[in-house]
Amino acid sequence: MNFPLPDFFPASAEIFVLVMACVVLLADLFKSERQGWLPYLLTLATLAGALAIQVGTAGADTTLTFSGMFVDDRLSDVLKSCLYITVFAVVVYSRDYLMARGLERGEYYLLVLFATLGMQVMISANHFLTLYLGLELLSLAIYALVALDRESARSTEAAMKYFVLGALASGLLLYGMSMIYGATGTLEISAIARKLSDPATNMDVLRFGLVFLVAGLAFKIGVVPFHMWIPDVYHGAPTAITLLIGSAPKLAGFSMAIRLLVDGLPTLAVEWQQMLMMLAVLSIALGNVVAIAQTNVKRMLAYSTISHMGFMLLGLVSGVIELRASGDIQLSYAFGSAMFYTIAYVLMSAAAFGVLLLLTRAGVEAETLDDLKGLNRRSPWFAAVLMMVMFSMAGIPFFIGFFAKLAVLQAVVAAGYLYTAVFAVMLSLIGAFFYLRVVKLMYFDEPLDTAPLVASSEMRALLSVNALAIAVIGLMPQSLLTLCATALGQAMK
Amino acid sequence: MAAGRARTRKQVSFAAPAHDRPRIVCMNLLATVVLLPLLAGTSACALIGRGNTPARRLLTALAAGGVTLAALALLLRMAPAVFAGEVPAAGFEWLPQLGLNIGWRLDGLALMFGLLITGIGALIVLYAHHYLGSEDPAGKFYALLMLFMAAMLGVVLSDNLLMLVVFWELTSVSSFLLVGYWGHRADARAGARMALAVTGGGGLVMLAGFVLLGQIAGSYELTEILQHRERIVADPLYPLVLALVLTGCFTKSAQLPFHFWLPEAMAAPTPVSAYLHSATMVKAGIFLMLRLYPVLGGTALFEQVVTGFGLATVTFAAWVAIFRHDLKGLLAYSTVSHLGFITVLIGLDAPMAKVAAVFHILNHATFKAALFMSAGIVDHACHSRDLRRLGGLYGWMPWTATFALTAAAAMGGLPPLNGFLSKEMYFAEALAGADRLSWIVPAVALLAAVSSMAYSLRFAHDTFFNGPTRDLPADAHPHDPPAGMLAPVALLALLCVAVGLFPESTYGPLVRLAADAALGGPPPEFHLALWHGVNGPLAMSAVAVLAGFALYAGLMKGRALHGYLPRAWSGKLAFGCAIDRLFAFAGRVTAATENGSLQRSLLIMVAFAVLLAAAPFWQADALPAAGDRTLMPATPLALALWALLLITATVIAATHHQRFRALVLVGIVGLITALTFVGLSAPDLALTQLSVEVVSTVLMLMGLALLPQHTPRESSALRRGRDALLALVAGGGVAGLTWLMLTRNHDSISWFFLERSLTEGGGNNVVNVILVDFRGYDTFGEITVLGIAGLGALALLDGFRTRRPAADADGRAWAFEQQPLLLRVAARVVLPLALLASAYIYWRGHNMPGGGFIAGLMTSVALVMQYMALGQARAESLLHGAAGRRFTRWIGTGLGIAGLTGIGAFWFGRPFLTSAHGHPALPVIGELPLASAAAFDLGVYITVVGATLLTLSVLGAASKEDHA
Repeated sequence: MNFPLPDFFPASAEIFVLVMACVVLLADLFKSERQGWLPYLLTLATLAGALAIQVGTAGADTTLTFSGMFVDDRLSDVLKSCLYITVFAVVVYSRDYLMARGLERGEYYLLVLFATLGMQVMISANHFLTLYLGLELLSLAIYALVALDRESARSTEAAMKYFVLGALASGLLLYGMSMIYGATGTLEISAIARKLSDPATNMDVLRFGLVFLVAGLAFKIGVVPFHMWIPDVYHGAPTAITLLIGSAPKLAGFSMAIRLLVDGLPTLAVEWQQMLMMLAVLSIALGNVVAIAQTNVKRMLAYSTISHMGFMLLGLVSGVIELRASGDIQLSYAFGSAMFYTIAYVLMSAAAFGVLLLLTRAGVEAETLDDLKGLNRRSPWFAAVLMMVMFSMAGIPFFIGFFAKLAVLQAVVAAGYLYTAVFAVMLSLIGAFFYLRVVKLMYFDEPLDTAPLVASSEMRALLSVNALAIAVIGLMPQSLLTLCATALGQAMK
Repeated sequence: MAAGRARTRKQVSFAAPAHDRPRIVCMNLLATVVLLPLLAGTSACALIGRGNTPARRLLTALAAGGVTLAALALLLRMAPAVFAGEVPAAGFEWLPQLGLNIGWRLDGLALMFGLLITGIGALIVLYAHHYLGSEDPAGKFYALLMLFMAAMLGVVLSDNLLMLVVFWELTSVSSFLLVGYWGHRADARAGARMALAVTGGGGLVMLAGFVLLGQIAGSYELTEILQHRERIVADPLYPLVLALVLTGCFTKSAQLPFHFWLPEAMAAPTPVSAYLHSATMVKAGIFLMLRLYPVLGGTALFEQVVTGFGLATVTFAAWVAIFRHDLKGLLAYSTVSHLGFITVLIGLDAPMAKVAAVFHILNHATFKAALFMSAGIVDHACHSRDLRRLGGLYGWMPWTATFALTAAAAMGGLPPLNGFLSKEMYFAEALAGADRLSWIVPAVALLAAVSSMAYSLRFAHDTFFNGPTRDLPADAHPHDPPAGMLAPVALLALLCVAVGLFPESTYGPLVRLAADAALGGPPPEFHLALWHGVNGPLAMSAVAVLAGFALYAGLMKGRALHGYLPRAWSGKLAFGCAIDRLFAFAGRVTAATENGSLQRSLLIMVAFAVLLAAAPFWQADALPAAGDRTLMPATPLALALWALLLITATVIAATHHQRFRALVLVGIVGLITALTFVGLSAPDLALTQLSVEVVSTVLMLMGLALLPQHTPRESSALRRGRDALLALVAGGGVAGLTWLMLTRNHDSISWFFLERSLTEGGGNNVVNVILVDFRGYDTFGEITVLGIAGLGALALLDGFRTRRPAADADGRAWAFEQQPLLLRVAARVVLPLALLASAYIYWRGHNMPGGGFIAGLMTSVALVMQYMALGQARAESLLHGAAGRRFTRWIGTGLGIAGLTGIGAFWFGRPFLTSAHGHPALPVIGELPLASAAAFDLGVYITVVGATLLTLSVLGAASKEDHA
């Protein structure tokens, strides 16, 4: 049979990453002893190249290709560009840590690149199958990465749990997708949205499908009650891997939520809003409260992620406003706020784990709160960096986190969920407590470990840039907010 | 859609109409007031103060002082315009999406606070230069001080509520850093953290209130909001807004029950206390209440709540202050009390009360700053602030004592000082308030004044008189400080007297101006004066002074007061207790939600999925019915098979601890599936299922041979029951939903393949054509994966040897050498037949059930039999297998053939894997259906055989007994 050749141009960044992943694989296999840096540099070059391609091929139009399975729009351009930058930072931050533990092998770079590819595919998915494909590519790479340190019982246990739970969640997601297929007869996201307005479509079946879709989604972005893997995996994985898991996949998770729910099932908004609202409120409550009890920084950040993702969901919940009188659906700027929140969180998370990585050296892990004590004596600048991150996460002004929270809260209030807004603020107050505890430990306590910090200069530089971004975007959030809003606006046209 | 987004912003518009704004554009001046300390001040101080030499310390102080005075001068330059009734304002858009604009606005209230902040700030800079020790980093101190000053100026000058919050939180953060300036002291750390937790948290609560307020008013611009009083007060959310905003104000201004952080913050260096905790930061809450009074105030709710909290604070704190032995602790509680005093005045629904409030803000800042600074001088000289140890200092430091006594008299409310004046006004308003609220108002006001007199007396008497000093630290040498340190105190003390004597010509105009802004209209006619004739307030004052003296004398009899140990009743303990509770609660929640058990996590996930899925049931009007699709009849044979399937599945679940048995039973499930395929006319699928079943069972058996045959049972019966129930519910739900789905009619896509299989793929067997043509890419991917799996097994197990078990679980010995004769013979016979059959299956695959995949599996099964019959060594010598490595070449060959076939399409300018087909007629065989897909299928065949045998071979080798 003759098939028309699809348009490969919109997916050039994906193709580039795939080819380069194979190049890295071969380079790693055939490199000489002295070329240990080769996979590292190639990976960085891949990410930089992908960014260049993405920006270079970015157009104002929405392009569909591969029979409508793949979409290239402003949203994907913005999210993918953020993705490359994040993964770039992750790789730079991680190298010293991995080398000190003998984990800096080709597999790491290869798996990171495949995870990146998976996220790219997820972000550009316009079809349930593409979405699932990307998700699994990402998940499988991450399962393996969590167990990268095969000697560590904690890591392998975490990987095993993550794998089993992740498989169950994938099952739920697939089941939901298949039910939606059963009701609409298509898997293409924009076609599903069109089918929904057809009165002949069976709404009951769709609702059931939606339930499983939301459950699968909730697991992937890690909100209560599908959050159980987050603390274990954050804690169990080597810190460099936790850094990866805690940053870039949130972008893909956001895109997944937008594509599945907002693009695909807008007319079911009332249903999924209720569910997401419940998940968001539970996450914000549990995340903030449990974080207090943690003495391990990675676990604390894990619960902090849960509450932040809850906040992000609040933005999504406020996005679709049904006009009861006319039955029409309106989309508000709230999605932009959720996107801004996600990007802000990724920036903060990368910097937080970056500092944790900075504190480690051969044989020394920095995981507990005690390890942060007196950081100001050891390195005033990186203590300031972590302070900025903590203030930003707590939502204290002049940092990006404040504007993220503010934008989401305004959206929530505008959508009429007043008590939810007040509740969210109250709980972020509790949350502010444990972030501030970290600041107190760094500035006012005696260091237990007085050894100077060991880190490569490129890591120091990039971490500083990362922290400055938190502060500078905090002062000038205008352009990023506009970017998010226009990207989403174009994607939903 | 973009338009839709814009519409949903309700009616929020952020560009305020310009017409009714009295504004003169002096943007640069107004912004400079904040930016000067924020940018120039902090950076200059931080840079100059890097080295801690005396010269640099002096320069740093000069820089800070210069910046402060410059800001003060700028404000004064704009003051005439404000006095002329103009409101200098300026702004530009910062974040229009969020309603966050940079907007500055200088009305009377802002001007008064601005002058207070910069004026006292200048004095503090001077004082701190002498106060700080030579080892204290001056640069850090002044930089933080400038940051704080900028934040404070930002709060009072902001025209935008959100920006106000931003600066509000910045004051919390900078005060955190200032209070914790001496980070080596535990009390400083605890105090700093508590201050930040309370005031920063309050700020966030306030933010929530502001967001609501902005939604109601349709703008976040103060200029706008101030014009919508009616709409805001009438809104049903008004009580909530009020509660949230007041929480923010009360935390910042240390009102009961949030007062406790202020005494704890006294661990700060004294200049910080004098600046933040008397004159400026604690007044921010007061400022905000006044700022929003025109919109939020004037209702019965506002009056009751604000007055109520104020009264409670003023009495409680004044009483507690008497019993503090720490000089600064006493002043801290006194500050709390005076803040309560102002809060009461703000609450009272009378215009004059606002005048009194504004006046007292100025007065309190004046005398309290002087008192804090003198407390610092005493501390500096005596190295102690304990009132039980100090005493008789008048003789040692007469100048300090004189000024401090003047200020203390003002605090106690003695004429002719400024404190007396505002207290009189307070009494007058309290008496007036009695009509509207209750007689309690003046009564409580009087009580507070009595305590106020008493603690002022104690401050003066215990420090400067009351006998000689008592066991001061050895290094204490009480003396008057250098002039630079004394001058600010002197200036403020003199101001106390001047204002007391000539109120109209000193603070008068400013008070009028600020009250105008706070009331949102001109204040009533009033005249500030020392003497208003004999009236109710004067009588109350007299009573308060006399009773205060009596109270102090009574308490101090025989120094009884010194023996008093403060009981643990402070809010600090409550805060600590609340924190502990929170920790304990967090710990309990953690223990309840995460115990690291995978089973628990799975349980929660499945249970929630079931709950979520059940939700539509009780929302929908009727249960979704099954579809109306015509069902096929169920034959008795099929029913019997499915019953067997159910039973087998149940037995597997029950006996999964015995691994071999479970595996065999799984085989039955596969078999029934294959039979079902046959029944549904899918011979291809049946063949594939069957072959896969056989191969995978054999491979899994080999793998299991290396592992224990039993796993222990670990869970209790109760838990198994619970899990079984959940599994039944979840499984039943899934089955039910599947039933709903499958009974519905839907379009099938099979016509597409049926129509095009022969015409475009050149084959009658649709399944095979799909595999090798329509979905050729998929198949190519699948065989690649199969090859990788085989290689993976090789990589993992190559060279791996395990001791094979000598006996099975029942004690029967494993037989390694003897292969049953019958099997050996049968295997020999079967092999050529099986190979022939698989070749046939392969060949006909394109048109009839069969194909490379099935053929490959059949060959594999035949070879697996050889393994079992002859033993691995002989089987491999037969195949020249060399411990499996040779099979990697098979995989490579198969993939190569498939890949080259695909690439072949390029020769004809077609995409990868485009197939070509023809039907050449050959003499003997007849018509030969030839398709390029057949070559591709050959690749599939070889790869399947290679991968299966490779896996088999490495697994077998792993359990081979190590002869070496």
